[in-house]
Amino acid sequence: MPVWHRIRSMARNVFARERVERELDVEVRGYSAMLEEEKMARGMKPNEARRAARIESEGTEQIKEQVRSSRGGKTLEILWQDLRYAVRMLRRNPGFAVVAIVTLALGIGANTAIFSLVNGVLLRPLPYRDPGKLTIIWEQDDKGKPDNVGYATYLDWKAQNKSFEDLAVYSSWQPILQTGEPEQLNGLRVTSNYFRMLGIHPELGRDFLPEEDNPASRNVVLLSHALWERRFNSDPNIVGKAIAMSASSYVVAGVLPASYQSLMNQDPRGGTVEIWRVLGYDVTLPFACRTCHHLVAVGRVKAGVSFAQAKAEMDTISAALMKAYPKEYSAAGVILTPLREKLLGDARTPLFILFGAVSLVLLVACANLANLLLARSTNRQREIAVRTALGASRGRIVRQLLAENCLLAFLGAAVGLIPAYLTPRVLAAVGTGGLPRLEGVQMDWRVLVFTAAAALLTGILSGLAPSFRLSKTDVHESLKEGARGSASGASRRLRGMLVVSEVALSLTLLIGAGLLLRSLAQLLNVSPGFDAGHVLTLRTSVLGQRYNDNNVLRQYFKDAVERLRVLPGVQSAAAASQIPLGGNMDEYGFHPEGKMNANPELDESAERYCITSGFLATMRIPLLRGRDIEPSDSLTSPGVILISATTAKQIWPNEDALGKRVKIGVLDHPWLTVVGIVGDVHHVGLDSTPNMQMYIPHAQYPFPDTDMTFVVRSSGPPRAIASAAGQAIHSLDATQPLSRVMPLEDYVALSVQGRRFALILIGAFASIALLLSIVGIYGVTAYSVAQRTREIGIRVALGAQRIEVLTLILRQGFVLILAGVVLGVAASVGLTRFLASMLFNVSATDPFTFALVIMLLVVAALLACWIPARRAMRVDPMVALRHE
Amino acid sequence: MTPNQTELLQGTLDLLILNALTTTPLHGLGVARRIEAVTNGTFRVKPGSLFPALHRMEEEGWLSAYWGESENNRRAKYYQLTRAGRRHLEKETERWGRISLAIARALEARG
Repeated sequence: MPVWHRIRSMARNVFARERVERELDVEVRGYSAMLEEEKMARGMKPNEARRAARIESEGTEQIKEQVRSSRGGKTLEILWQDLRYAVRMLRRNPGFAVVAIVTLALGIGANTAIFSLVNGVLLRPLPYRDPGKLTIIWEQDDKGKPDNVGYATYLDWKAQNKSFEDLAVYSSWQPILQTGEPEQLNGLRVTSNYFRMLGIHPELGRDFLPEEDNPASRNVVLLSHALWERRFNSDPNIVGKAIAMSASSYVVAGVLPASYQSLMNQDPRGGTVEIWRVLGYDVTLPFACRTCHHLVAVGRVKAGVSFAQAKAEMDTISAALMKAYPKEYSAAGVILTPLREKLLGDARTPLFILFGAVSLVLLVACANLANLLLARSTNRQREIAVRTALGASRGRIVRQLLAENCLLAFLGAAVGLIPAYLTPRVLAAVGTGGLPRLEGVQMDWRVLVFTAAAALLTGILSGLAPSFRLSKTDVHESLKEGARGSASGASRRLRGMLVVSEVALSLTLLIGAGLLLRSLAQLLNVSPGFDAGHVLTLRTSVLGQRYNDNNVLRQYFKDAVERLRVLPGVQSAAAASQIPLGGNMDEYGFHPEGKMNANPELDESAERYCITSGFLATMRIPLLRGRDIEPSDSLTSPGVILISATTAKQIWPNEDALGKRVKIGVLDHPWLTVVGIVGDVHHVGLDSTPNMQMYIPHAQYPFPDTDMTFVVRSSGPPRAIASAAGQAIHSLDATQPLSRVMPLEDYVALSVQGRRFALILIGAFASIALLLSIVGIYGVTAYSVAQRTREIGIRVALGAQRIEVLTLILRQGFVLILAGVVLGVAASVGLTRFLASMLFNVSATDPFTFALVIMLLVVAALLACWIPARRAMRVDPMVALRHE
Repeated sequence: MTPNQTELLQGTLDLLILNALTTTPLHGLGVARRIEAVTNGTFRVKPGSLFPALHRMEEEGWLSAYWGESENNRRAKYYQLTRAGRRHLEKETERWGRISLAIARALEARG
């Protein structure tokens, strides 16, 4: 087939070129020889025959050239030629090549690294079937904010809607695995249709069955692939086996594929979800109420139904429910969050900011490379002049120079792939900033295509101006004897402009980094409301039949805390159902006497801390008024509660809150009396205003928590007492699992990890850009000094002082820097607004940061000028005047 | 009367070459001689046009080439028609016939 034939010919032309040329030569000469033979056969004399044949053949070389120019695969061949020439050129100038490749490796490598992040987190398809149709459905509260849904509501939604193909709910679950070393796992309880709806199929065993989704037969679990490998040794017969968890027995129904990583992580500090249990909701329990918002609903819309249409229908259903049960809903309406947005929405902004920042670095690298090329241009003028004289067209020369540049770019990109490959490991060390889906960040085809494209773009962009300039070389001038390469005024101006742009870009990045640094400092300066130093935390989830008796449970924690308190080196200890910045979100309705709403759902909620005595002292949360919880507060004494200052101000703005009575959560519990007002703590994050908070004694609560965190204040470093603390708790009951043994400070650090991550990366980019700019400024100044050596010599000979020479050179550099700073400030003012979401207490145009960064940059840049300027100072006029 | 070689359309030269190779494979000179003979001396193809055309058609797959020995035992490159080349020749011959018929009619109608 002709196409195949043509490809084969092209390949042959490119790769077997020598053979093809030889054969052509033989063929064409043969033609001439055969003509000669013909003529001799007709009777011509050998000499005449040869001459006649040669005339008729019209010149072997020309014929061969004709054949060559009509060949296919020409572009490919030319490219190949260009590349080989480029390699030769680079080998002759290894110094230049190394500098260029390092510059490019930094620029392109950084871009590849960030793109691999963007790829792994945002671009990679979600593991679900048709993910565009999946959405979370929140209830809308009276403030228009999204809220979880209660089971009864979910049932009604499921029965009445027509927009959704299927609806499922899930809730968090943290069982203790008891086969072997007890370990607390992060898991989800899901309705039986959950995986079917998402489109995920177990690789071993089976999915949940509808008939299992009830209280009697809900001890069925699905394992993640990782869990199956880690704790069950990839046992091929795991399906159907029973495993011991949380003092019960569960049957393994199946194992999910390795490629599936659950993204529905309600507690990001808890690690990946590794186990799923069928929900089996017990509708007889009080928790099945409509006001118990602890389930998350997720649904798949039918084909052809838009999210807007689905929302409209659900709004109607919700309104009808509110009418039917007016006291159990605070508002009507639902909020839909498409799944993709819920999972990845938070990651988008920081990643785009990082991508923008790293693009600036690439531009700086391009400018630096262009500068290098311009500097080298002067050395190559002769070569280009010769080629032009031999007949090369300007386009051909430009193409060849660009090919050379692109080769450099590809080499730089290849070198840059190495740090990019190491990105995941670096991330693990630096702290991932809370980005989801990081396990998928790797060097896949999209990343490689991006790298190649970036290299191509860089090569062409940085090479255009220098190549055009060089190809315009005046042939006459350059070929004269003794002609030295001279930089035209235009070339000098161009290099100056490049330096200005480099300085501007670096300034922008540095200001960005500076703003983030200040934000982080401000954030960490915010007092969290407690003293995080020297405190160790340990989580536990109490298991066992005997703890079903609440009295036993309460006593257990009292005793455990006591054992911790008496340890050497321990100043105080306590336990609480949640800790500030701990990531939990436990809120109960706060119903003050005399101020309750007719619809209790409309009352405010407060963050609930169920604590043993000693918590305030251990955490050093200040007691503002009244008294702390004491050991004497027990089941037999009147119910008490502590509230935060914000709670007091919000509920009783003009009255003394002490002595007032409230009910918590459900209204059929007894009244609690406010006995103390404590300082606010930052629970959600250091950058958000504290909500209402309340503290109730564990010893008094009718349903004491089994999931508690111990806090232990030590005189020395917290980790030092970790094993002693663990032993003390186990001395009471060795079967209780302990997890997340970590200093309280780690929780504080985790709460700022997003900003810290961005700061580290942007700081790195700014440093690279600054370094490249300094090198650029140095290069331009040094080159200018070398060019002006003669002039300087003359000036000195004519009586100029050394200082004058110095200021002459410095002034030139200073003009460039100043221009760059002005441009950079203008750019920053325009661009830093994109950082606004990451800034805290710092405006995007904070003058202090701007001034400081500008000073830093100017000093560094002047220093870069200084060294060549000093050399200019020392120019000996005698040497200079002889300088060619 | 020898028409100017450079005015010969490329397609026409291709056609002549393909036609020359219908019976036996020929080397470069042989093709030129055969065209000269068949057109009664009207078309004398110069090597500067012949070889580029031969190589191009070989790359396009209408001719295939092999090395053989000439009449005087000289190493020479022989060209022959491929199946695709034969098909192309038929198609072009038929097209040429239609064109020349149309032109002839147009010229008659002038009168």
